[in-house]
Amino acid sequence: MSVQTYEVIFRIRRYSPEKGSYWQEYKLTVDRFTQFTEALRRIKTEQDPSLAYRASCHMAVCGSCGMKINGEPRLACKTLVSGIINKYGSNVITIEPMDYFPVIKDLIVDWEDFYTRMFKVKPRLYPAKEVLEGKGEHRLKPEDQRRLWKFAQCIWCGLCVSVCPVIREDPEFLGPAAHAKGYRFLTDPRDTITDERFKILSDSAWRCTYCYHCFSVCPRDIEPVTAIKKTRALTKYVKEPTNVTFNGVKHSEAIAGSIKTTGKIMESLVYLQTYGLSRSLKDLIFIAKAGRGGSLISSILEEKPVKNVSEIKKLFEG
Amino acid sequence: MDIADYDVVVLGSGLAGLMSTYVIASAGYKVAVISKVFPTRSHSAAAEGGIAAYIPGNSDPNDNPDYMTYDTVKGGDYLVDQDAAELLSNESGNIVMLLESWGALFNRQPDGRVAVRYFGGQTYPRTRFIGDKTGMGLLHTLFERVSGLDKVDFYNEWFALDFVTDSNRIVGVLALQMKDMEPVFFRSKAVVVATGGMGMLYRHTTNSYINTGDGYAMALRAGAAIKDPEFVQFHPTALYPSDVLISEAARGEGAILRNAKGERFMTRYAPKKLDLAPRDIVSRAIFTEVKEGRGFPGGYVVLDLTHLGEEYIKERLALAVEAAKSFAGIDAITEPIPVRPAQHYYMGGIDVDITGRNPDIVGLFAAGEAACVSVHGANRLGSNSLLETLVFGRETGKHVVEFLKNAQEPQSQYQNETEKLLDDAYRFVKSESGVHFGEIVNKLRDVMWDYVGVFRDEGGLKNALSEINELRDMAGKMYVTDKSKVYNTEFFNALELRNMLDLALVITTSALERKESRGAHYRTDYPERDDDHWLKHTIAYLRGNTVEVTYKPVRMTRWKPEPRVY
Repeated sequence: MSVQTYEVIFRIRRYSPEKGSYWQEYKLTVDRFTQFTEALRRIKTEQDPSLAYRASCHMAVCGSCGMKINGEPRLACKTLVSGIINKYGSNVITIEPMDYFPVIKDLIVDWEDFYTRMFKVKPRLYPAKEVLEGKGEHRLKPEDQRRLWKFAQCIWCGLCVSVCPVIREDPEFLGPAAHAKGYRFLTDPRDTITDERFKILSDSAWRCTYCYHCFSVCPRDIEPVTAIKKTRALTKYVKEPTNVTFNGVKHSEAIAGSIKTTGKIMESLVYLQTYGLSRSLKDLIFIAKAGRGGSLISSILEEKPVKNVSEIKKLFEG
Repeated sequence: MDIADYDVVVLGSGLAGLMSTYVIASAGYKVAVISKVFPTRSHSAAAEGGIAAYIPGNSDPNDNPDYMTYDTVKGGDYLVDQDAAELLSNESGNIVMLLESWGALFNRQPDGRVAVRYFGGQTYPRTRFIGDKTGMGLLHTLFERVSGLDKVDFYNEWFALDFVTDSNRIVGVLALQMKDMEPVFFRSKAVVVATGGMGMLYRHTTNSYINTGDGYAMALRAGAAIKDPEFVQFHPTALYPSDVLISEAARGEGAILRNAKGERFMTRYAPKKLDLAPRDIVSRAIFTEVKEGRGFPGGYVVLDLTHLGEEYIKERLALAVEAAKSFAGIDAITEPIPVRPAQHYYMGGIDVDITGRNPDIVGLFAAGEAACVSVHGANRLGSNSLLETLVFGRETGKHVVEFLKNAQEPQSQYQNETEKLLDDAYRFVKSESGVHFGEIVNKLRDVMWDYVGVFRDEGGLKNALSEINELRDMAGKMYVTDKSKVYNTEFFNALELRNMLDLALVITTSALERKESRGAHYRTDYPERDDDHWLKHTIAYLRGNTVEVTYKPVRMTRWKPEPRVY
């Protein structure tokens, strides 16, 4: 085993209500195996006991230590200092609290909003009465276990929520982690409140923009966006679709139709098919009033089908 | 000071605390769950390999609960209370199926029933598992269940300082919200201590940073005993050098330990069970190999999975592969994993019987790793800790409900007591100079690892005692540099250190007193088990700076001590 060491400067974004926000630097010698949680523990016990951060399991199962390292949202425990030095080619490393959440003290953020989102999806199994009374026993296919376990491994770290652009704009969107949790119960064959779950999840699922930030930052590879996609794919079972759900489905169908007939996404056609003529006209007038009508109309006029559309049709029918 | 009224305060929101909470709240009583962390961040989440259970109709046809009890009793080197072990085995099947019914995603057999695998010290395979994140899977399931109950209030990120007692009777708990440091007196008729273990006392541990033994020390300060404090488990396969646990599941699935010469050295130490011998035996074997020059430079051996095949390893040992990759840069599918022992579990704990009740203080209950029901004796078997948290969490909950039926309302004579306890805590913040907690805590962890670890002897233990006493003196002059009234983690770390120092004194004194080797307590100066003199539980009290050690008999039912060979 190599005993190579690194001299590192950690620039930490600190905050307290008394002192406000400021950067502080710490020098520390680490080896190639030093986790960020251990680096923080050493700074706290050897240099500055006042540094505040959360950390517990140091093995990426408790979700306590989400923070930004050189701007990247990461679990501190699952990140080696040497890995960041090698990646960025620099021994100066910044550490900041996660985005989106209000900061309480140094790297500690307020998770209240995150927990509220998680509890909105009724994060628990509602099994059949017979099973609860011990009169019956669940069976679960190994492939179902594997499929559900993928999404059940969410550790509530909040990293996905910290990067999600939609939750900042749309109060009705539940957020990526809650969707992963919700989908895990929605498709658990042992659950009994499927209609209610659709009511909670379906509308919100159609509010995601598929930016894939949650997919990139998740330290457990949960793929919250995949849970959202799979929830959308079940929309045909939704008993009372909301406008958002209804338009979402139409939008998907319009995109598929546009590609099938023209080989590309004809924006104006997709818009028209999704929202209908009168809403489209209204929106056009709104855009024209805002002084953007000219460029919109010229972009519509420039939309032309690709060559060899018949090949694409074959793929669709294939 | 604000007062919050509850029937019961549960300290700790891991599996044991939540299971007790479930039972007590379901009986209609009001419960406050106080935890330093949000429940899913409790150390139960770190348990990997599985939970042992004899499930009728879904176990080896030759197995039965008596074999399971026998394995537990023998694994614990006969320091196990056999009534407790019997209860553990008998309830194992239905508690696993209860968690299954609440949604736990146990790995399955092709027919849809819960799957099973081998773990160390088992005559027949009994370990049920959720990948290799069984603890995390169970903790989330149980928290999800309990979070839906009406009678439960969660006080997450609250720090409990001390029990408040009135003539040896619980009247409540004093706790601070970490965010704003406001103290609240939680008035209650009973307290369930489920604060987990104390791994942070040791330089090398697989435990979470939060495992500072708070519950043990609170019990000691209130006048309750710690039972069998000298028994500390060291897990043989912590990843070198970061001490992340590589689950025993790896060896359960066929992984082999090898020394630097490539030898399967366990053939020398446990010719029959080999790599699946109990943890104390394997840990000593590894350090013996290293000491005799057959380890790798730096002091480790390797755990070889490579012959198991990529697909099998990835499905059943995903976390081990991930840990080796993330924390040591090793591809476990093609290279052996570097491992060495690290502190892992505490067999000792607050003295309770199979009802979870402590005999010293009326209204004091404990469950899980914080308790010593004496189900693990001198060495815990793998897969029995998750099982203990749930089975004895439930038993304790049931007996708290019984206790509450006749319990008196707590008296109002708490004011002076709570103010005094709060002053004791704030003494650390008020000092204007001295050493800060970090210097003391790092020394303490070195002392415990060097002298109160896998191998012990009189000289080392005496040395440890004098060092610990010195550190306790230093802590008296400890000061907190951060005067902030918002999430002052330095203040809480200082209070954790106070707890660690109290417990360290008790562990070391008891280890010095026990002049034999049994299970995880190995004295190089007394290398043999001595049933004639030492087949008894240590009962240790802390009176100021003095540890008072007494003993009580082990409860035997059907299994007579025999040599422990594997």
